[in-house]
Amino acid sequence: MTLERDRYRVVIVGAGIVGLYTAYHLARAGAGPIAVVDRGFLSSGGSGRNGGGIRQQWETRSTIRLARESIAAYRRFGSEFGYNIWFRQGGYLFLAETPAELDRLRAVHDVVVAEGLPSRLLSEGEVGAHVEGIAPGAVVGGAYLGSDGTLYPFPAVWGVYEAARSLGVEVALGVEARGVSSENGRVSRLVTSDGSIATDTIVNAAGGWSADLSRRAGLDVPNVASRHEILATEPLKPFLDPMVVRRSDGLYFSQTMRGEIVGGVTVPHPPGTARGVPSSPRFLTSMARALVTLVPRLASVGVLRAWAGFYDDTPDGFPIVGEDPRLPGFVHANGFGGHGFMLAPAASRRVAQSVLGEATDLDPREFGPGRFAAGPAGRAVEGLQLG
Amino acid sequence: MASRPLRRFRFGRALRASEEGRTILEALVGERLPALVRSVRYHRPRAAFCGVGFCTGCLVRVNGRPNVRACRQAVREGDRVATENSWPSPRFDVLGALDALFPRGIDTLHGFRRPAFATRTYQRVVRRLAGYGRLPDHGAPAAGIRPPTVLRARVVIVGGGRAGAAAAARVAALGEPALLLDRGPGPGPIPGVEVLPSTTATVLSAAGPGGGDQFTLLGYSAEDAGVLVRAPAVIVATGSYDASLLFEGNDRPGVMTADLALGLARGARSLPFRRAVVVGSGPRALEVLSALGPRACAVSAPGGIPPELVRRASELGVSLFPRSMVVRARGRSRVRSVELRRRGSGPTDLVPCDAIVLAHRRLPHHPLLFQAGATMVWRPLSRGYYPALDPSGRTSVPALFAAGSVAGVAPAEAAASGVAAAEAALGRPRSGPPSTPVDPGNSGEYDGYFEELLTQPRRGKWVACACEDVLLDELEAASGRGYRGLEVVKRYTGLGTGLCQGRYCVPDALSVLSVLEHRAPPEVGYLTQRPPVVPTPLGSLARLHDEVGGEVVP
Ligand SMILES: Cc1cc2nc3c(=O)[nH]c(=O)nc-3n(C[C@H](O)[C@H](O)[C@H](O)COP(=O)(O)OP(=O)(O)OC[C@H]3O[C@@H](n4cnc5c(N)ncnc54)[C@H](O)[C@@H]3O)c2cc1C
Ligand code: FES
Repeated sequence: MTLERDRYRVVIVGAGIVGLYTAYHLARAGAGPIAVVDRGFLSSGGSGRNGGGIRQQWETRSTIRLARESIAAYRRFGSEFGYNIWFRQGGYLFLAETPAELDRLRAVHDVVVAEGLPSRLLSEGEVGAHVEGIAPGAVVGGAYLGSDGTLYPFPAVWGVYEAARSLGVEVALGVEARGVSSENGRVSRLVTSDGSIATDTIVNAAGGWSADLSRRAGLDVPNVASRHEILATEPLKPFLDPMVVRRSDGLYFSQTMRGEIVGGVTVPHPPGTARGVPSSPRFLTSMARALVTLVPRLASVGVLRAWAGFYDDTPDGFPIVGEDPRLPGFVHANGFGGHGFMLAPAASRRVAQSVLGEATDLDPREFGPGRFAAGPAGRAVEGLQLG
Repeated sequence: MASRPLRRFRFGRALRASEEGRTILEALVGERLPALVRSVRYHRPRAAFCGVGFCTGCLVRVNGRPNVRACRQAVREGDRVATENSWPSPRFDVLGALDALFPRGIDTLHGFRRPAFATRTYQRVVRRLAGYGRLPDHGAPAAGIRPPTVLRARVVIVGGGRAGAAAAARVAALGEPALLLDRGPGPGPIPGVEVLPSTTATVLSAAGPGGGDQFTLLGYSAEDAGVLVRAPAVIVATGSYDASLLFEGNDRPGVMTADLALGLARGARSLPFRRAVVVGSGPRALEVLSALGPRACAVSAPGGIPPELVRRASELGVSLFPRSMVVRARGRSRVRSVELRRRGSGPTDLVPCDAIVLAHRRLPHHPLLFQAGATMVWRPLSRGYYPALDPSGRTSVPALFAAGSVAGVAPAEAAASGVAAAEAALGRPRSGPPSTPVDPGNSGEYDGYFEELLTQPRRGKWVACACEDVLLDELEAASGRGYRGLEVVKRYTGLGTGLCQGRYCVPDALSVLSVLEHRAPPEVGYLTQRPPVVPTPLGSLARLHDEVGGEVVP
């Protein structure tokens, strides 16, 4: 699929939820000709491989705000984009298996409440009421926010894709970004497998592969791709409303609208994308152990399929959003870790703002591409990562 | 035949009895194939379809355990068998009205968005329809917790048919430890071979923990015991299965594969039909015709019908419909007749029948090979993917071999291909001639078939993916909006994401998409085979947790 022009105002690398949403915001703002290139098929990256979890319970107020704004966007998604993403606000339930963990949840709870969200701390019994079949004694309590929830990632991708296209955005699939040329210290062209494209601005929304692209542009970045696996079970009649999560082992699982239990757990893998996305026996057995120990009645339920994708991790747990001070015209929209879907609507609005040279409300010490030069001292960390 | 002891079980509230060793399905089959479950979206009645444990037609709840395949599970004394996803019963299900209310289907991608305040209600309603079985009543019974089986062998053979058994015997004869796993009863004892019957291999990873054993194989056996095998070489001899076929009403009770019909002819006391239309013209159709005898009434084939089949048919007084396509199964709760359309927009014949037996093509049962990363090649004649192999059955993955019909080898050569794979797996010289995979294709009789099929008028639902109730219209809609390629259309429609994991829907979907996208099926792509290849109980995997090593950085 080739592009129609040889010059664009903006070329976005990556047709995941972040790249597409950015294109959509830019097109709505009338930014000029916009192209999105992706070497894979639509939703081949993290945006087609995630758990669809959308939560506002975070350690940092800035992340909570972005998530909150995104929830509002996903709530009106159906009328705005014409696709039903089945965003179901069944809550996120954090489990505490020890009093110490409950204390940590309390600290998060306090931040969430300070942001005006009605998070609640739950007793063991209250947790049990949310999770049918939970093993007695598995938890001492939990934290719950009912307006968190889950959605279907695919229709969200289709909806934003179609909306962007109908606003004139060109999306070229099967085109790989291979390099970035600059003139007078500013981005001038994107070199692709399909020729080079003149442009003022390149947005790096390449998800787990974003660090490769930044490096090809000569920029040293700290993002690290990490493989994360996830599985779905055979569909059961609905019995579980919230997304259930546990910080100690990164466990998360929810029941989709189709009845499948979908979730993951942390399993260490060698960093980087070199080994691709096969599933590992280690993950399958770890996840099975975690689920069956927590909800013994799931023992006879079959795992239907497992797959993997990449988180694009940053050292401080915040994404990288904005123009790189070292290379004007190169804008980052990456580093979303395991929560890019839930931040995409809000974060990509800021990406678009910075492409247009507008000021954003993001603290550059939390989200700015230049923040790593100063070292970690004194900077905030968003440590509430799962999966 | 001496009668076997009886096993008593409950089906709903009724007390039933069956001979020992029979499956629940065989025990429940009478004059008719019982509708056992309702489909996910439209609550269409469904009955056993595949007979080999992959489809969603025979799901029942057994002793509080959901989604049990009645065609695979033997009746045990005191079993409580119940139906699910239907009220009051699969035969008369209140929600079955949905099917009639939405003759063109329900668009869950675009529908139910407005008004915004109603979304919660929509979700509650739609969610109620989701899933098949309810959460299991209990966890693993304490007595049932079996320690996992952890084994090592020089060569592991998956599948105990002719090819697998021959491969295992050859490995043993060459003095090396062989282990054979079979989902079913297996080949019986083979000298020098450790045979694990009733053991399903579900995950094959070629990125093992190192130390020479590059393969890790996970599986499960009876009572959800986990099985872990490590080996430096694996031979996959998982055989083949009968494909589904796309037509209106192809999911109605009474439409079944040859696998099921032949299985019932062997195992059940009586065949649950009187007048069967057999689809196909190859050796499989002949086999079915012979097994059904007077219960067969017609043969429909997309191309010509070869002389042996013509002869057998005339002996049985069976009418022949060469160069015809099945366009419609009529009947709601069961098949009552079938419409056969002569190829090339010819006339339509209406044939009264109570079963349609699909014997038109067999497909290699290759998910394990796919999943382990073996390169697959498209064979145009049989319109299917087969593993790319050298004459010894070597796949593109080092030390992974395929033998028998999964490799596309003709039945007569199956054993020889097993022997060749065994020798190659051990690095020994080949003792026999090289095996030549043949394309067991249909010599082009499906050329143009799907082009023509897509122009047929549609009165009712054309179910393209029965597990998820995905309609042909939805594939066309996806295509019309510019979504191309099987991977994307799967994500757009949900096709291939159900319990059969694409075994029955993907082959024809490839052909359909190839027509819609104006490109050859291999360009439409294939689905990445995501493990496990068969739904694997969480409990069996959980118990393997301590045994499975972590990934190592190479
Ligand atoms: C298992 C798993 C579970 C997750 N669960 C959640 C969750 O519950 N909630 C949540 O919010 N997030 C979750 N995430 C994270 C979320 O999926 C990602 O953060 C989000 O999808 C990132 O979107 P993206 O658009 O930035 O990247 P992607 O969707 O990965 O898109 C990047 C695209 O860039 C393309 N690309 C890369 N390099 C190039 C190149 N050089 N040239 C051309 N194209 C290129 C890729 O093909 C890809 O399509 C999960 C992730 C995984 C892996
Ligand atoms: S008939 Fe039992 S699974 Fe298909």
